[in-house]
Amino acid sequence: MRKELVDLSINGRRHELAVEPNRTLLDVLREDLRLTGTKCGCDDSSCGACTVVVDGQPMLSCLLLAVSYQDSQIQTIESLATQGELGALQRGFVQEGGSQCGFCTPGMVMSLHTLLESTADPTEEEVRAAISGNICRCTGYMQICRAVRHAVAEIREEEIREKERLHA
Amino acid sequence: MTLPEFTLLRPRNLPEAIDSLDRHRGDIQVIAGGTDLVPSLKQRLFAPRYLLDLKPIRDLRGIRNGHGLTIGAMTTVGAIADSPLVAEKFPVLAAAAAAIASPVLRTTGTLGGNLCLDTRCLWYNQSPFWRASCGFCLKKDGKVCHVAPGGEKCWAVFSGDTAPALLALGAEIEIASPRASRRLPLADFYTGDGMARIKLAGDEILTRVHLPESSAGLRGAYFKYRLRGSIDYPLAGVAVALDLAPDGTCRRGALAVTALNPKPQLIPGAEAALRGSRLSDDLLDRLAELTNRAIKPLSTSASTPDYRRHIARVFVRRAVRQAWQA
Repeated sequence: MRKELVDLSINGRRHELAVEPNRTLLDVLREDLRLTGTKCGCDDSSCGACTVVVDGQPMLSCLLLAVSYQDSQIQTIESLATQGELGALQRGFVQEGGSQCGFCTPGMVMSLHTLLESTADPTEEEVRAAISGNICRCTGYMQICRAVRHAVAEIREEEIREKERLHA
Repeated sequence: MTLPEFTLLRPRNLPEAIDSLDRHRGDIQVIAGGTDLVPSLKQRLFAPRYLLDLKPIRDLRGIRNGHGLTIGAMTTVGAIADSPLVAEKFPVLAAAAAAIASPVLRTTGTLGGNLCLDTRCLWYNQSPFWRASCGFCLKKDGKVCHVAPGGEKCWAVFSGDTAPALLALGAEIEIASPRASRRLPLADFYTGDGMARIKLAGDEILTRVHLPESSAGLRGAYFKYRLRGSIDYPLAGVAVALDLAPDGTCRRGALAVTALNPKPQLIPGAEAALRGSRLSDDLLDRLAELTNRAIKPLSTSASTPDYRRHIARVFVRRAVRQAWQA
């Protein structure tokens, strides 16, 4: 099959690569770019493990044809840590035991990341709705919901400290 | 799972898309959001030489408010579920769109795709290995329908959520073709045959959905039965739209179902039963009985036909009551 030269924007970086049209974004992320944070669970859109953020919206990368998403900004789990330090949401998962076997975690985090981008302090119901397409077989979800609370509190404290620094 | 080999065509506009469909007729398939098609391609239910990606055609996206509403076929079902305009004017459509799959699928799946959804069956939506071990089925590669082996017909079920809501609202659809574009009531789009499920020629594209102004503001409710509450296609779906007079009498109403037959459909007789009626147990019984007569759930899913028949009647009662009292 003929490969196509594509130009994908992933985590703020442009990647030029040759890709067959029948390959999913998930395949390209994991196999060509070695961004293996995104997981392949069911590979048929039932589990949410492969969730990435495309133009600000959570989507299942096992469903997307990579060549079709050249005009989009794609964000994967690898984008959330800065200089090796985990983001607030990821720290929440660690602190609250939101990640056990860890396979659903990148997808969970990306779904919740988009929620927190639009809703700074989501209700329990909003948190549950946001991850309703992400299946976890270990945690029972409670720890994941608590991880979000943890992250929200941490982000708020950080904002307060930032304000105080500006006043000082 | 790998996808079969294909060439992906990305037309810049509708005429170019129609032209490609015409040129590669019989060997080409349209891909909208791909939420239904991509898993089916992985299962080798289809293996077209060309796929026509509608994503680059910007005109097919968006919700336009005018006389009624016009919704582009490539508008995501999530955008419809989240639209304050849709929620205000056509609450039954907002409810049905919000019930589709999960949030991570609603960002991708489109209204056009939901209306053109392939019919589903336990014997069909399976891997090639699974299907081969059962000797295939009438819908794909085989000769016998395992659901109704004595018959000649395919009973795979139409499983879209937006169709019953749009039927209850009297929506029309617009179809582009190399001949003249045409507009028809959504109710005339479905055939009732599990195989050739919709009246869309190989060189045609569903482009827009029109919701009539006369249905704006109708009260509505959508009830859906599925195995997993957070994702999944419906195994029974009931939509109702009602116009009530200030004294609570129904001036006009419609009841439609999905996932119970090879096509989504309005319940015959429901409109007449609703007109001029007040909410009563008698009315709800009558509507449930009319529904019972119109549906034919068979063993096409992991749920049983008996339970789907039962829950359809329960949902008719609940949906009508909820819409009435909303």
